[in-house]
Amino acid sequence: MMRDWKIDIEKRLGVSTLAPADETDIVEELNQHLTDLYERALLNGATEAEAEQRVLSDLDESNLLKRGLPTTHRTNRAEPAGDRPSTINKIFSDVLQDLRFAVRTLAKKPAFTAIVVVALALGIGANTAIFSVVNTVLLQPLPYKDPDRLVIVWEDASVIGFAFNTPSAANFFDWQKQAHTFEGLAATARQSFNLTNSGEPERLDGRRVSGNLFQLLGVEPQLGRWFVPEDDRVGANRVVMLSDGLWQRRFSSDRSIIGRTLTLNGEEYTVAGVMPERFEFPSHDDQLWVPFAFTSEQAENRGRHFLEVVARINQGVTLEQARAEMTTIAARLETEYPQTNTHIGVTIIPLHDELVGDIRPVLLILLGAVGFVLLVACANVANLLLARAAARQKEIATRIALGASRRRLVRQFLTESVLLSIFGGFVGLILAFASIYVLKSLIPDNVLSSGQITIDGKVLAFTVAVSVITGLIFGLAPALQASNFNLNETLKEGGRDSSAGNRGHRIRSLLVVAEVAVSLVLLIGAGLLINSFLRLSHVNPGFVSKNVLTMNIELPDLKYPKQKQRVGFYDELVHRVEQIPGVKSAAVINSIPFVLQGDSFGISVDGRPDYAPDKRPEVTTRTISSHYFETMGISLVRGRLFVDQDRLDSPSVAIIGETMARRLWPDEDPIGKRIKPGPLNSDDPWIEIVGIVNDVKQFKLNAEPKVQMYLPYSQFEWFVPRHLVVKTDVDPVSIASTVRKTVWDIDRDQPVSNISTMDEVLATSVARQRFTMMLLAGFAGLALLLAAVGIYGVMSYSIAQRTHEIGIRMALGARTADVLRLAIGQGLRLVLLGLGIGLVGAFFLTRVMSSLLFGISATDPLTFAAISVVLVGVTLLASYIPARRATKVDPLIALRYE
Amino acid sequence: MPYIGSRVLDRELKKGSAELLILSLVEDQPRHGYDIGSLIEQRSNGNLKFSVGSLYPLLYRLEKRGWIQGRWVEKPNQRRRRYYKITAEGKRVLKAQRNSWKEFVEAINSVAGIEMA
Repeated sequence: MMRDWKIDIEKRLGVSTLAPADETDIVEELNQHLTDLYERALLNGATEAEAEQRVLSDLDESNLLKRGLPTTHRTNRAEPAGDRPSTINKIFSDVLQDLRFAVRTLAKKPAFTAIVVVALALGIGANTAIFSVVNTVLLQPLPYKDPDRLVIVWEDASVIGFAFNTPSAANFFDWQKQAHTFEGLAATARQSFNLTNSGEPERLDGRRVSGNLFQLLGVEPQLGRWFVPEDDRVGANRVVMLSDGLWQRRFSSDRSIIGRTLTLNGEEYTVAGVMPERFEFPSHDDQLWVPFAFTSEQAENRGRHFLEVVARINQGVTLEQARAEMTTIAARLETEYPQTNTHIGVTIIPLHDELVGDIRPVLLILLGAVGFVLLVACANVANLLLARAAARQKEIATRIALGASRRRLVRQFLTESVLLSIFGGFVGLILAFASIYVLKSLIPDNVLSSGQITIDGKVLAFTVAVSVITGLIFGLAPALQASNFNLNETLKEGGRDSSAGNRGHRIRSLLVVAEVAVSLVLLIGAGLLINSFLRLSHVNPGFVSKNVLTMNIELPDLKYPKQKQRVGFYDELVHRVEQIPGVKSAAVINSIPFVLQGDSFGISVDGRPDYAPDKRPEVTTRTISSHYFETMGISLVRGRLFVDQDRLDSPSVAIIGETMARRLWPDEDPIGKRIKPGPLNSDDPWIEIVGIVNDVKQFKLNAEPKVQMYLPYSQFEWFVPRHLVVKTDVDPVSIASTVRKTVWDIDRDQPVSNISTMDEVLATSVARQRFTMMLLAGFAGLALLLAAVGIYGVMSYSIAQRTHEIGIRMALGARTADVLRLAIGQGLRLVLLGLGIGLVGAFFLTRVMSSLLFGISATDPLTFAAISVVLVGVTLLASYIPARRATKVDPLIALRYE
Repeated sequence: MPYIGSRVLDRELKKGSAELLILSLVEDQPRHGYDIGSLIEQRSNGNLKFSVGSLYPLLYRLEKRGWIQGRWVEKPNQRRRRYYKITAEGKRVLKAQRNSWKEFVEAINSVAGIEMA
């Protein structure tokens, strides 16, 4: 009977870890094997004891059985080989193994890892920050119910230059009655309120609104109740809705506020409710809302255009259908009321477009710019990884030789790069949090309300996606290079020129070319914006902003119902302010430049046939006190300025701007000519033109000056002064509190608001341009830095590889200059290639930003040339440094270098 | 021919090449474990040797990867044995491993200056 080995085998197996069925099979198989061994030993002449000894020693060798079997036999072998669970397990365990390996590899090179993570974090962080703005502003639905169906309805008065004109009340009510494609229409109108009788008087921006506004928007108040149609009637009890901000700030979130009485503009209002925290409509400045309660006379007025109308389109009705219906209604109104409605159409804009219209191109361009920055960062990191892959050739060779598949190697490389980019993404996220904080303080209030910008789930998902994609992009080049790996050549290659080395070098060079090209596009974009901004800042606004203090002082109608009382207040105010030491002159005006489009009306001219309603010249009108021109440094061209004798009871006079003079009296002297508001037969008195002053940019620096004129405010009560301007010898801010005190000396309850200098007002008007320019310039600078670092890296690497060759050249008598030329020439070729590609790219890409440019074309040759010079200079420097190092090489050492 | 270099190199090389060896041996006909072990020993003139403890874990691993497939076979007058047969996937792997091995050996040869016989 043959010896049985089963017991010996079982003793040596990790028995308990195997499935019983497996174990039986394995034991039997091994038993057969050992039997064979035993038999052969006997055949070879061993004694039984020797044969047994040999078999057992084979079985015991390195204790492999115990370690090896359990790991290969964790799953039931009865299942077919290659079954799904084991495949998934294998993939999972491979991924884990790859990850462990990647972590170990990266931890071994902390400096390398840190550089890569920082580069990626900059790119990913910038993307996350800008995307969080885009997400908040462009992607998140507006905080109203079904916001997609909300639209803004304007009067289209393109004939007189206002495509988005504020509708008149009568037109609004006609729309409301006749339109069937809308669930409802609601109007709002700006109104400021002087809040008195509860602490310091304060001026608050708010709105008068239709009673149905909040229902239409579908937003419930957090406290109290909605307005109801009954609130919106003449003689109803006055009610007010507060914003959350006002409620918190002014009333300390007191929940018993509902039903309390507030004094606004001298009238008593009962608090009906408080809107929720995030609610704002239509602008984030609005702090309270009160119902219109139009009188029938007001409701029938077609001449005063002051409403902003929001409407909700019926479910299932398209924007086009709504537009078609409103066009029909406008045409009907045109025939019914030719005097006021001739050529007046309707413009309908989705609410979202209306709110983000201006900022959308800016944000998209910034998003594109940070995308480019990330690409440059990717190219840099890919370069670093390629250089490192070259250093790891021996490792790769060994792993391939030991049976690692190419696919497996590629996966290992990609695991490493994705891991890197996820680290980068993580750090980038931290950077993004910090930069959002900074961004919020940078984003000017008049550009967009930045309070709600946050990193939410969508932004996080974006960051993760960007990180992974980034990792795949920059990991691809080294991974592919590794998979094309040629064992033979690697082991043959002695570190000098070889085809594999050349291939790696070619990829790296291509990456440099790409970096240069992308950076150039960004830099040119930034250059164009900087150039535009400089031009914009040098535009003459038509007035001197230096040392001018401005503030809002709006008299409540109720307290000052008569023109005479208002004139009394303002004359007294100007008189007293001019007595303050350091003040040169002071004046009041209905609207200072750059704050509001301002008041305007159509005119008729004495001695000329009346204009057709749609041809009537629309004149931007400022009502001022007599020292306005000297306060603002506006100069007289001809005629005279206003004097104190131009009063309520003296003949009406006007001073016009140069554009108006040229437009209306191209061949005549306008001085002495007479005009009047409205048609020839209106009741208004004739106004005589007594002077011409230089044009002032009333609203935008980058627009042609409007047809404009000035009237003494005392003679023209339509447009009530709202602003005080004070010219000083001293720092204007230093006298602000004295001026405010002077106001309160005259009327203790009179609020003063928006105190700022005219310089600040000007700066605010170009805030969007400055903001865009600064960000884009920042991103372009970042790209330039990354590109310079990238070129430096590639040049250092390539020169280090050529040390041997350079040594020979120098030994053969090459001078420093020759070596420099050789080394820099190589860098220059790459830069010039990138430059060429970048210039072509920029030529097409900068067009998308032409709407942001001023006074310069999107393909301005000077900017293109100047930026190219800058880029070439920086990149040459980046290749000069390693080249310089090469010239210091000692030929002897270089030749030994291997 | 003497053993190649140090024990470390020996072990590393064996680990890297074992799969290749096993797959080649079962390429043409199914074989059982003892057969495979003996053939490796014979054909390498005793330079390569697999103990039970190292051979079977390997076989089971290859089987689990689906490169070979084992089946109990009982022939007349013989003991019941487990025979291993190469799979289609195994053939692909074998081909790939042969190529890279060939490159590696050529590389080693040209570096180390060994002339091919």
